[in-house]
Amino acid sequence: MSEEILTVENLKKYFVTKQGTVRAVDKVSFSVKQGETCGLVGESGSGKTTIAHTLVGIYEPTEGRALFKGQNISKVFNQRPKALKKEIRIVFQDPGSSLNPRRSIKQILELPLKVHRICNDSDRVERVMELLRMVELPPEDYMYKSPQVIGGGEKQMVAIARALAPNPSFLVLDEPTSALDVSVQAKIINLLMQLQQNLNLTYLFITHDLSLMRNITNRVVIMYLGKISEVAPTVEFFQNPFHPYTKMLLSSIPTVSDEEENFKPKEVISRGEIASPVNVPSGCSFHLRCPQKMEICSRADPTVVEVEADHLVRCHLFSDGRKPT
Amino acid sequence: MTPLLEIKNLQVRFKIYEGELKVLNGVDMVIGEGEKVGLVGETGCGKTTTVKSVLRVLPTPPARISGGEILYRGKDILKMKPAQIRSLRKGEMSAIFQDPLAALNPVFTVGHQLYDVIKYSSASRGRKRLSKKEIRARSIAVLKETGMPDSERILSNYPIQLSGGMRQRVCISEALSASARLLMADEPTTNLDVTIQAQILRQLSELVAKKKSSILLISHSLGVVRNLTERVYIMYAGNMVEVARTKDLFADPLHPYTKALLKSVPKLTGEGISRGIRGRIPNYLNPPAGCRFHPRCDHMMPICEKERPAFFTGGDSDNHKVACFLCRR
Repeated sequence: MSEEILTVENLKKYFVTKQGTVRAVDKVSFSVKQGETCGLVGESGSGKTTIAHTLVGIYEPTEGRALFKGQNISKVFNQRPKALKKEIRIVFQDPGSSLNPRRSIKQILELPLKVHRICNDSDRVERVMELLRMVELPPEDYMYKSPQVIGGGEKQMVAIARALAPNPSFLVLDEPTSALDVSVQAKIINLLMQLQQNLNLTYLFITHDLSLMRNITNRVVIMYLGKISEVAPTVEFFQNPFHPYTKMLLSSIPTVSDEEENFKPKEVISRGEIASPVNVPSGCSFHLRCPQKMEICSRADPTVVEVEADHLVRCHLFSDGRKPT
Repeated sequence: MTPLLEIKNLQVRFKIYEGELKVLNGVDMVIGEGEKVGLVGETGCGKTTTVKSVLRVLPTPPARISGGEILYRGKDILKMKPAQIRSLRKGEMSAIFQDPLAALNPVFTVGHQLYDVIKYSSASRGRKRLSKKEIRARSIAVLKETGMPDSERILSNYPIQLSGGMRQRVCISEALSASARLLMADEPTTNLDVTIQAQILRQLSELVAKKKSSILLISHSLGVVRNLTERVYIMYAGNMVEVARTKDLFADPLHPYTKALLKSVPKLTGEGISRGIRGRIPNYLNPPAGCRFHPRCDHMMPICEKERPAFFTGGDSDNHKVACFLCRR
């Protein structure tokens, strides 16, 4: 459990546009341990997906690096060794656009098997059926269907099966359920948790849904405008959030019971909007929305401090490494 | 409370190549004057179809309203002449839709679109025409009401230049500029981040309270509805399955579908995740006979396949009604 499978060190990804440089990811460091589910949370525009895409090689980092099992993986897709691509797989947010509508589900699942030479021609169909059974879709009913004719939840199941095809050890899940209804979401999450146990997988789970995060992850990384604001073990994080931004996030969650209501930090009222990553505010990027803004916040960018064991915060309130009284 | 809107046994069908989709299968709903009502259901259960029928903006064909009544202050909207409906839409009811970018016209500025809405709706009340200056002042005022920062500058922006939350604020101010008696908000915050969602919902409820309008809040998120409404309808596959005061419904859900739905929601307290609901929403070409939920229900009885359940009173309150044979006494 303790072994670190993925380490991200000072990762930066800038995009140069006509309007200016977009600092999508700005000096982000975190690590994911073998067998855990690490949650990456943030609003839209905070750089979650950019990190995911950098990890699977869609983008090359501007600076910094990512290590996977000690191997540097900060390379784009076509420069990666095949063995690496087999290990790290991704499930995208919108299954409607990540599955080719002109292929049958069998063809979709066969492709990674062919590319990575997982099995010979005669066993391939058997393996496709096994994959479909793994995601609880009866192969007889689904193999020859087009992704267009099945429901959103089922499409996402197929996308998961495709990611699992070459027996990966690390899965990047980029908001796999945010386009789906809660009842379908529950089904997919259960399946993912089961697969993790059976196949000994490690997940990097990207979402904006904190309640979901609470139930499935071991550790959470909170991002705001391309930077990390808080990293903590999940249970600890929800009992004792430090950063004003995470408090705002938590207090904004709509809840379905009074017990949950009592669980939220009361005092923070959400205001303002996430700034443009082209024009990042000076100092701490959150200071324009922060209810506990101090004079120093607009001048200097805080550094990450470890306030308690494994609980990191990037905020001036904690700059001396202690909780403010 | 006097009813403002009453939907009685509404049936809507859609004609497609393969046959007829029997989507709304007898929807009943009452919204009182000044009441905040929620409507919850999964994708494809007919929430938006209901709203569009009330506004009479369903494209017919392919849609066909095959039965039922929609009474607005006692008058049947379905029998009104186009001019009467237009005047209803001017000052009486308005809607906010899910995707503000689709609802706003991309080639006109926000100011232009607000101008049109205000000019059109003010003309209906037989008052003197507003001057350009007055309309501009009103546009700024309604934008400010929704908590829009820098509203004067926003007027000359195009929708694409605004963020998602700001676009939705523009839609809300358009809907509220005419002081509508009934506001139908169809998933107004589904595309937004939680922090923005919290802001929009807070402002929406403040505005509705100030103008004493009724609101029908449609959402697939139970949490959103719980925090904003007084009464909730739960919809499944074109039927209302449960209605109760919000407090009662969340404390004591009675329909198996409501229960399963509530269990599927991930909780902040971290109780793990339920298995969800097996199967999926039925095909409307051949919906299941009897109770439409019976193929997915864990408590299915023989009668469920044959008969459609009527509303039975359940729970502690007379206002808690459930369309399930389990609650028949």
